[in-house]
Amino acid sequence: MKNFKLHGIVLCLIIIAELIGTYKFQIGVGTIVLLPMLFALILGVLTTPKFFKISGKQDMLDASSLLGLTLMLLMARYGTLVGPTLPKIIAASPALILQEFGNLGTIMIGVPVAVFIGLKRETIGAAHSIAREPNVALIGERYGLDSTEGHGVMGVYIAGTVFGTIFFGLMASVAASTTPLHPYALAMASGVGSASMMTAAVGSLCAMYPEMTEQLAAFGAASNMLSGLDGLYMSIWLALPFSEWLYKKCYKIKYGVESESIKEEK
Amino acid sequence: MSIKDTITVLLIVCVMSLVSNVLGTKFGLLEAIPGLLILTLIAVAGILLAKYLPGNIPSVAYVVTLGCILTYPAVPGATIINSYVAKVGFVSLCTPLLAYAGVAIGKDLDEFAKSGWRIVLVACVVFVGTYIGSAIIAQCILKSLGQI
Repeated sequence: MKNFKLHGIVLCLIIIAELIGTYKFQIGVGTIVLLPMLFALILGVLTTPKFFKISGKQDMLDASSLLGLTLMLLMARYGTLVGPTLPKIIAASPALILQEFGNLGTIMIGVPVAVFIGLKRETIGAAHSIAREPNVALIGERYGLDSTEGHGVMGVYIAGTVFGTIFFGLMASVAASTTPLHPYALAMASGVGSASMMTAAVGSLCAMYPEMTEQLAAFGAASNMLSGLDGLYMSIWLALPFSEWLYKKCYKIKYGVESESIKEEK
Repeated sequence: MSIKDTITVLLIVCVMSLVSNVLGTKFGLLEAIPGLLILTLIAVAGILLAKYLPGNIPSVAYVVTLGCILTYPAVPGATIINSYVAKVGFVSLCTPLLAYAGVAIGKDLDEFAKSGWRIVLVACVVFVGTYIGSAIIAQCILKSLGQI
């Protein structure tokens, strides 16, 4: 951590990224969002030896060893975002609480698809959850963000940050018009990801069912708060062990051999 | 990593976050400092709890839970803590993190590029799976409760 060069580089990256600012592109029903964090990431990659050779091997190694800790400040903020909403979460209906188990649907579809298209340990990071901040932090702590699992979770996180809004906006309208699912159920499901994903999905639903706007928005917001609270605990005790188990099964089916042993960093 | 090193790194990240917060939110330098220090303390406390309490529970869980408890409206002082941390933007906290991540990813860029499109595909599957999975469960419960 005494690597002043690395911290200097990162400081410059942050300043440039924040000065570039946020860009939003309106496309049809949704918006593509480019946040400063994305610019910071791209610029960071560009400093490495493959491109501009500003940061060297040691800087890259030091940066990966620090990653897990840098997440902790974000997680502290995350907790303080959830805290004030707790009374409302506790008052939420049991329907909302049970609905949270829908997150496990992620794994049942995600893990087999990921293994089938040839991903290895990336699968665990990419398909164990919808990959919002707490999930990134959890994978970071268990395996390290520079591990294969870490690549998986970071990839889905970035994809969600950039395309999540437009994807959820579209998905909600497609599901509402092509499936027999009730708009209330779709509104509850809208809360599974980030707040902006929820807003986009509920927005599309409200446009289709203007007479239900109030109820749809309430369901979406409540479910979003709840996901924020239980998403992490669910990942630790249910989703992650289940993904590991299913990964091993799928790996065996695809390759006919046992998967490579898991080296858990602790 | 020793506790001293952990605190040093967290303080460095704290300074970085201060910079991104000043540039990325409407809050000034002095406004964000108390909030960031509170967050740093929560992070340190969470890491220590994970280290010394049994059960092998990741420190992420302790940090989030602590943050949650300290800002729960019925807890004494929650309003004050909340007013301070509210001046630290969530999205600006991600900027330093991803700057470090960018430098770190440089190390495995080839591998990352190779699996990149697959991960994006999985991301789409994950979004659809979670959304539809949750909606189906919600549908069943609402139906059984007679709400729809």
